[in-house]
Amino acid sequence: MTRLLLPALTATALLASHAAMGAKSRDLTGLVRPFFEQHCNSCHGAKKQKGDLRVDNLIVDLQSPKIMGYWEEIMSRINSGDMPPEDETRPKPEEISKVADWILLQLREAETVRQSSAGERVAFRKLTRDEYGNTVRDLLGVNFDVKAPSGLPEDPDWKGFERIGSVLTLSPAHIEKYLSAADAILDEALSLRPEPKREVIRWEAFDMRWKGFKEEYQARGIADKVRIEIVPRNYTTDSWNIEIKTTGDYLLRLKLSGLRPAGGRAPRLKVYMSSINTTLIEQDIDAPEDKPIIVEARVHLVAGKYPVRIINSVPGPNPEGRRSRHSGTPNAFTNTRSRVPWQLKLTDDDFKPIQPTLIVDTVEWDGPIVDVWPTKAHQKIYVSKDAREILTQFATRAWRRPVQAKEIERLMKPVNKSLELGDSFEVAVKNGLIGVMCAKSFLYLEEGDASKAAPTLSDYELASRLSYFLWSSMPDEHLLELAKQGRLHDAKTLRAEVQRMLRDAKAQEFADSFPRQWLQLRKVGMFPPDKELYPDYDENLEQSMVAETLGFFNEVLKRNGSLRDFLDSDWSMINERLAMHYGIEGVRGDQLQRVVLKPEDHRGGLLTQASVLSLTSDGTRHRPVHRGVWMLESIIGRPPPPPPANVPALTTPDAKAKKTTVREKLELHRSDPNCTACHNKIDPLGIAFDNYDAIGRWRTVETIKDGTGGDPKLDPSGVLPDGRAVADAVALKKILLDDEAKFAFAVTEKLATYALRRGMNFSDRDELKRIVEASKADGYKLASLIESLVASPLFLKR
Amino acid sequence: MSNIQSQRWLLNRRHFLRGLGTTVALPLLDAMVPLRASAAATAKPRRSVFVYIPNGVNGMTWQCTKAGRGYELSPSLKPLAKHKEDFTVFSGLHHPNGLGQAHVCADTWLTGAKIDAQGGRKYENTISCDQMMAEVVGQQTRFNSLELSISTGTGQPFNSNTLAFSRDGVPLPADDNPKIIFNRLFGEEVGGIGAQRARLTKRRSVLDAVLDDAKSLRLALGTDDRTKLDEYMHAVRDVEQRTERLDAWLDIPKPVVEKNLAAPFQRDVPKAQAGEYWRTMFDLIVLALRTDMTRVVTYMNGSEGNGLAIPEIQITQARHNLSHHNGDPVVLDRLAKSDAFIMQQFAHFLDELRAVKDGDEPLLDRTMVLFGSGMSYGHSHCNSNLPILLAGGKGLGLKHGQHLDYNRPHLKEDYTLSYDEWRSLCGKPKDGKARLSNVLVTMLQKMEVNAETFVDSLGPVSEIV
Repeated sequence: MTRLLLPALTATALLASHAAMGAKSRDLTGLVRPFFEQHCNSCHGAKKQKGDLRVDNLIVDLQSPKIMGYWEEIMSRINSGDMPPEDETRPKPEEISKVADWILLQLREAETVRQSSAGERVAFRKLTRDEYGNTVRDLLGVNFDVKAPSGLPEDPDWKGFERIGSVLTLSPAHIEKYLSAADAILDEALSLRPEPKREVIRWEAFDMRWKGFKEEYQARGIADKVRIEIVPRNYTTDSWNIEIKTTGDYLLRLKLSGLRPAGGRAPRLKVYMSSINTTLIEQDIDAPEDKPIIVEARVHLVAGKYPVRIINSVPGPNPEGRRSRHSGTPNAFTNTRSRVPWQLKLTDDDFKPIQPTLIVDTVEWDGPIVDVWPTKAHQKIYVSKDAREILTQFATRAWRRPVQAKEIERLMKPVNKSLELGDSFEVAVKNGLIGVMCAKSFLYLEEGDASKAAPTLSDYELASRLSYFLWSSMPDEHLLELAKQGRLHDAKTLRAEVQRMLRDAKAQEFADSFPRQWLQLRKVGMFPPDKELYPDYDENLEQSMVAETLGFFNEVLKRNGSLRDFLDSDWSMINERLAMHYGIEGVRGDQLQRVVLKPEDHRGGLLTQASVLSLTSDGTRHRPVHRGVWMLESIIGRPPPPPPANVPALTTPDAKAKKTTVREKLELHRSDPNCTACHNKIDPLGIAFDNYDAIGRWRTVETIKDGTGGDPKLDPSGVLPDGRAVADAVALKKILLDDEAKFAFAVTEKLATYALRRGMNFSDRDELKRIVEASKADGYKLASLIESLVASPLFLKR
Repeated sequence: MSNIQSQRWLLNRRHFLRGLGTTVALPLLDAMVPLRASAAATAKPRRSVFVYIPNGVNGMTWQCTKAGRGYELSPSLKPLAKHKEDFTVFSGLHHPNGLGQAHVCADTWLTGAKIDAQGGRKYENTISCDQMMAEVVGQQTRFNSLELSISTGTGQPFNSNTLAFSRDGVPLPADDNPKIIFNRLFGEEVGGIGAQRARLTKRRSVLDAVLDDAKSLRLALGTDDRTKLDEYMHAVRDVEQRTERLDAWLDIPKPVVEKNLAAPFQRDVPKAQAGEYWRTMFDLIVLALRTDMTRVVTYMNGSEGNGLAIPEIQITQARHNLSHHNGDPVVLDRLAKSDAFIMQQFAHFLDELRAVKDGDEPLLDRTMVLFGSGMSYGHSHCNSNLPILLAGGKGLGLKHGQHLDYNRPHLKEDYTLSYDEWRSLCGKPKDGKARLSNVLVTMLQKMEVNAETFVDSLGPVSEIV
């Protein structure tokens, strides 16, 4: 254990290691070593070291990947039953389970210890691409689309968290993208080009579909009546080209009607740029034929030519066979009453719509929108004739801290080089600004001091941590001012700041990203449901599922509701599409609404939301084991060990055999005592949700294609490892509510992981406990919990 | 780079690609010959392409039963019949470090690294063999290497969208859009050479400045462990070198691709039209190779999480879903159809490579193409007996037309092609020495990379060299 005492470690890490070491060495000598003595040492001991592995004197060294690698190997070998070999006595499953669990704890600890920056003098945490985009918006007022092909590469995640410092990497391709991004962003932000003229490009019916027939319709006197009808599933047919001359923000405006058949769904407008895979508008349109509405969105467009598709994305019959396209003789659409017999029918004989149809009048592209010229950013940057002064002011804001003269001196090189090449003063300064935006201090959150060990954050570092936690963006002037005055370390100030920041519109970033990452919502739709088995599944449903979970979290946060709501609630946030999916009546429109739930709805809390139930399925069927693992990871906060290698598959369905549920197959499958140890912990947590299928619909029998007999009834009951019986999902929610403190701890741990951009380790545990305990008095209110976390010593820790 | 500039006379005119027939020899390749001769690399170009398919295959229809030269193609491999003498199919290969892993197999297909998807180690990959090749042959072309994929970016650790990893083990983002790739390769330099040179000079001054800035802190930190700062500095330095190289290439005109040849790459090709999309990507690789824009290409025809459904043959399930077939014969049949369909597209790629001439040889003879997956039996994530084949490269000395079967000596009887046999072959390697790294090191050596071994390789595959 002497390696733990290396001087590189800071004081806090040392203390923590001491605290952890007591329990660790007790179990090592009391539990693990005796196990080795009995089962392993004869081949892997002092005398013999088969496979070059010696275990009798193996120590735990959290900092050594090599040693922890040995432990991992041992864990997976004994877990899979590979070791001890077949001809030796078998250890009892519960013995294996105890030793494997202990090793797992050490491995997790090692993982999070290595994510901590305490061992590094100065730690670098790369901004995620979303954070980059937000920072640019707040710094320069440019809405840079990071997800576009000309944007930035997608960031990797660790257990759903997309902002873990040690996981985010940077390659030469990133640097190239940062260089061109900075160039493009500054071009747009500064007024170094001719003032762009705001124009409206207007598409009317004759510009879009009935090309060449305008005169004829004018002659007939009904040119102004002509509109464009768009039936469902027109994915590729209605495409037009737009040429954007100047990069910038535009108002995209459509005037249109949307016919909703009685008892059916409203048509859904999707304006999609296929070449850059960008959706500009997507929403239901529910407006009578004679009362068109105007839909408007502010979008950021990069100069170029793009095909634009106007899609009616609601599912419907395939229109290809009877599409009413003109062929020489125009039959331009004027109204639903003037259809000719061979055209696709849109209404019944009483002229009531029979399928969801969009009727478009005009499409307008209005922009670029420039509020003032020269732009605000331009005015704020070119404050002086002295390039050094300009760079100093810009870098101070961009780097979120005071800058030193020598740092600015280096950035003068690009300015001078540019001047040498004959550029104007302003253009040359821009080259220096690109340098500011590609420097380490812009791209990374920098924490620490090269000259001395710093176990806690400085005021400026704290301002950034707080700001990137709640806003996913740079600190505003107020925060930086507090940092400058040295007041940010004060708990009262911090609490007040959290309240202020959560009220700000920018807090939406946290309200969306945290639940997305905590609950691993990125996985929703990752393995798209089989179209044959789940024909009702569509894009809108998938979006609505995720929207419910985000909306639910939002609502709890906004009302400072209790964490208990996440486990169970008598309300949820749903829209019409999801209500249809859940079989709940009376919800109309695609906006989320707070809906009161009844027991027979079988919903409430996060666990029975369709998003969660489908992200733990595989597109074909529900996966109780995945659901159990997800529960352990996200709700219980105790992830299980990895499965052993190459487990055989569940048995093949046999057309002649009786139909069996997944649960029954699973039980046969894990009759192996080596498997039961872990699966006893995992499976009951997943099986409890067996009444929900792979896309989260409620059911009582499992639908099975092959086999004889009827579809078998589902049995969601089980027994938790501590002996408590679980009848079904409702009962499981109750048990979790009884253990609310444990759940609160799990959520706090996730919040801290998100905020501190690293996994929590043993040395953080006591702090986390204190935060959770303090939160108990007010019934675990979410917003208050966030305040306590920020005001705690843990938040200041590097 | 002075050698390139001193031979400016050779290339002082625009070179036009004649796109009328793919069999026409490529002017640019010929025009470059004297240049190469002067550039120490007197030998003809050596190229490598890596094509990945996700989630394994249907082994019952993939497995070839007879070993050696006189083997018969399995149903899935039938589409490659006319190229039979141009490839070797392997059975029984595996990455020892990849056993028992799940979808991390794509991350390590070309690196062979040990990455545990869930265990105590943090995600650390190592250099992929294509990048080792790019370090050597990349200097002679405008682009070191080309990374293509079904999705743009790097994907996530354990579910990579790219096969290429740098010296630091950092994933190199891939592109998925033919138009963007085409324009990057062949697009006009904005504003002409003078303006472009000024841009590059300014870019270098920025890179210089930010590198200096990072260096001063690095010095102050002393000899700390490898940190994120080093990763940043390596990346900046690398881009600086690339920028220098771009500058040196400025005076050599890019090949102009004739309009009708360029047209297929200027359309939108939706991924819903899987076959069309795949062929377009394959054609783009051929174009990049024949114009000598690069000599190393990695291409993920699908990633573990994003393997296309193929609506044109009524396969509406994504490949990942098909691979979790649960033994269902209907789903297995679809997987087999999907495999055969992919092999048809791959056959098209080989057709094109054979049709184009590099000097007096088919381009295929100077290009090694490794095709396969990092998974074998997708349903329970098995990673031995990988589906792998190596095509082309005869001009580099590879011998083909055989089935190298490392399973057969360890089987009691002939292949039965049953479900259980397939599952068991994939669960555990029959021959622990049958390592995929042996094939990779063979390729490395053929690319004249100075490598005795690669990760856990035991030596080049003697039967094919």
